Amino acid sequence: MTTNGREPRSKLPLDGIRVLDITVVWAGPYSTMQLGDWGAEVIRVESTKYFAATTRGQMARPPKEVVEAQARAGGMGYPDNEAGERPWNRSAVFNAHGRNKRSVTIDLTSPEGQEAFERLIAASDGLIENNVPISMEKWGVTYERLSKINPRLIMVRMPAFGLAGPYKNYRTWGNHMEALSGHPLIRAYPNLSPEYAAGGVPADAAGGVGAAFAFTLGLRYRRRTGKGLMIEAPTAENFVPLLGEYVMDYTMNGRVRTQVGNEHWTNAPHNSYRCQGEDRWITVGVWNEEQWRSLCGLMRQENLVEDPRFIDMASRFENRHELDSTIGEWTGTRQPHWLVERLQAAGVPSGVVMNERDALEDRHLHERGFWHSLDHPEAGNYRHVGPAWKASQTPNDTPRRHAPLLGQDNEYVYKTVLGYTDDEYRDLEEKGQIGMDFAPEVP
Amino acid sequence: MMTGTMPLDDVRIIDLTQTTIGPFCTRMLGDYGADVIKIERPGTGDPARTMPPFFNDEPGIERSGLFLFLNTNKRSVTVDLESERGRQIIRQLVENADVLVENFAPGVMGEMGLGYEALTEVNPRIVVTSLSNYGQSGPYHDFAGTEINLYGMGGNMIASGDIDHEPVKTAGRMVNYHAGYVGALATTMSLHATEFLRDGIGEHLDVSVFETATHSIDSRLGRLMGYQHSGNVGTRPGRSAAVASGVFQCADGWFLITGTATFVHLVIKMIGMDELLEQPEWATVAERAKPERIDEFAAYLVPWMLERTKSEVRDACEAYGILGGPMNTIADLLSDPGFESRGYFQEIDHPTTGAIKYPGFHFTIHRDAEDGGPMPARRRAPLLGEHTDEVLSEGLGLSDDEISRLRAERVI
Repeated sequence: MTTNGREPRSKLPLDGIRVLDITVVWAGPYSTMQLGDWGAEVIRVESTKYFAATTRGQMARPPKEVVEAQARAGGMGYPDNEAGERPWNRSAVFNAHGRNKRSVTIDLTSPEGQEAFERLIAASDGLIENNVPISMEKWGVTYERLSKINPRLIMVRMPAFGLAGPYKNYRTWGNHMEALSGHPLIRAYPNLSPEYAAGGVPADAAGGVGAAFAFTLGLRYRRRTGKGLMIEAPTAENFVPLLGEYVMDYTMNGRVRTQVGNEHWTNAPHNSYRCQGEDRWITVGVWNEEQWRSLCGLMRQENLVEDPRFIDMASRFENRHELDSTIGEWTGTRQPHWLVERLQAAGVPSGVVMNERDALEDRHLHERGFWHSLDHPEAGNYRHVGPAWKASQTPNDTPRRHAPLLGQDNEYVYKTVLGYTDDEYRDLEEKGQIGMDFAPEVP
Repeated sequence: MMTGTMPLDDVRIIDLTQTTIGPFCTRMLGDYGADVIKIERPGTGDPARTMPPFFNDEPGIERSGLFLFLNTNKRSVTVDLESERGRQIIRQLVENADVLVENFAPGVMGEMGLGYEALTEVNPRIVVTSLSNYGQSGPYHDFAGTEINLYGMGGNMIASGDIDHEPVKTAGRMVNYHAGYVGALATTMSLHATEFLRDGIGEHLDVSVFETATHSIDSRLGRLMGYQHSGNVGTRPGRSAAVASGVFQCADGWFLITGTATFVHLVIKMIGMDELLEQPEWATVAERAKPERIDEFAAYLVPWMLERTKSEVRDACEAYGILGGPMNTIADLLSDPGFESRGYFQEIDHPTTGAIKYPGFHFTIHRDAEDGGPMPARRRAPLLGEHTDEVLSEGLGLSDDEISRLRAERVI
């Protein structure tokens, strides 16, 4: 295999490993982010002619009403809520998970694009994608074809439900496959309509970790056998085991648990409690008598220790709603950090329900060196999370590179890695395959 | 017997973990071939053995569904870590191991004489993966914490649920499992570096639930950036924060759909109201993004949903390329045609429960037939101490007499 164009080896575990990235939305990008964080050269294969919604923002050129709607719905939009001249380079989510990656534009619908793609496959170690299988087939991104070009290729595919089966081309995000897998109905509030159930996408996060793990296993497999590997990692199948105890309760006992909310299987108190301030909360989760006595002492309600309603864990669990109101009265007039400082000093499992500001200001994360500032030429300077773990032999100052502008690494990929001449490069620029802007007709 | 190569089938792991975070990590490594030697306390074993749900709701150390699903593909060896002889056994096992995983409170390994430095004296290439709530260092390293606290701190709990009610956590022990999963990734990467980049020098990995959640379960990462961009902290949305989006009632349950201004035109077509797209209020994306469209469209969507089952709505969403999913129960999941057709759930036999279904593999390694073909079936979770004799005699070369003596002394 060719090694031209690779960066000099340093000491990160995946240094010298090149991974092509055809990922969208969140689960796929999170997997290649993990690999990039630990040294892999991740190259996003993108197109100037096709915009994958919810990857570099919702639309290539969103009207201001869409930007405003996004701000209302959760604020994961653009710096200062301004889409800017090239909105695809300013998306908050993309600029977070895009760090340490490169971007090349290749139009997989054209013969020139297919040729460049084949050459790039031959020069790479892996490919990760999380698209609807029908799109991948249309573009010829199948293991059957690519492994002929590069028999040492490690390909990790992350369809929502699988490469075969009735849901093969069923398009969802993490939250919809979680719904189908039973999560939000378990997560829903005990005494409210499931319309109020919480969303969120732990399935995507787990999918990202899983695919990165799968790729790393593939590397080891290749090292030992000399062969490439195809790994099928449907995000839904990867997620269901995270509900393992609920699956087992059903298959062992026929029990169907729904609308559990914050309730524990056996323990109480176990909930979030409102504190002083606007939308401020702490969580408390007591698992033994000592912690319970400490909590009563802090609340100056030692009498509760002897109260028959709360005399042991089973009684507390049965009377958990009364218990929650009692604790809520105590927390309601106090500040969250003040409360947790005292609860922790007394050994009571507790924590502030941290908003983003709390996280960025958190003294523990600061002392652990968790935050890293990074400049982005079209978005500004912001703080990023560091690597997901610490390794004693592997100092890791990630993120090393800002999320790539669309097509930012075209010269590097076409000329240095693939050996295209200046003339060939210019020709592809004229055809619109190589560029740093989405074609004008892309909405 | 297993044929062909699995990625980790030449890797031996000494597993000192218990309850959920660590066992999830070693479960992942075991699924892809590692020989996981699970060290348990004599007599009582992993505390997860005493946690619900229990088979037939009767507690017992071989009856916990939580333990059974977390400990497939492992061997159980009982060793008393409070005795010096027990700790010596661990050091001996480490001599011939590649990885040690533990999730004690920070400092406990050192107190037992099993700290990272001590283990490297026995075996310099050992990778030691330490999993903990808050990490091995820092002001919170000795804080008490349970899953709900960690999700509240590291995840998007503040934005989970309804604005007029309390923030809610993810189900079960998801945040712990997530950290364990990252631990498996970290371990495998470190093994790769130890073997191929560092000439056999191992390392100590520090994986915390707080940081892996912040890093990010639940798209926390995007929100942390979004906050820096806009200054707005996340909060719980109302029931429907975007057009044609949210949980809606159907004839037989509930359905989650995500339209938003970007995709609502597809939802309009799905409910057969194409003519709406010709009205100025619905003709452009900009118009569809206006907040007043949310309630306007709900008036069309709610009755359409009520007349259909969640499975009919799912079929329609797939046909129109709309993001949506039925709000299933676990019973629905186990009979879901998609999972069923792929044979996803695995039947595993066990002396207590008989053959019952477990969640399947997280991902499937497609090996050629000549390399062993489909992945080997999972082995059930071990009975407490089931493999003590075999590991101590074959692994450490202890004689039967010696093993009997250790047993009499309650070391094993």
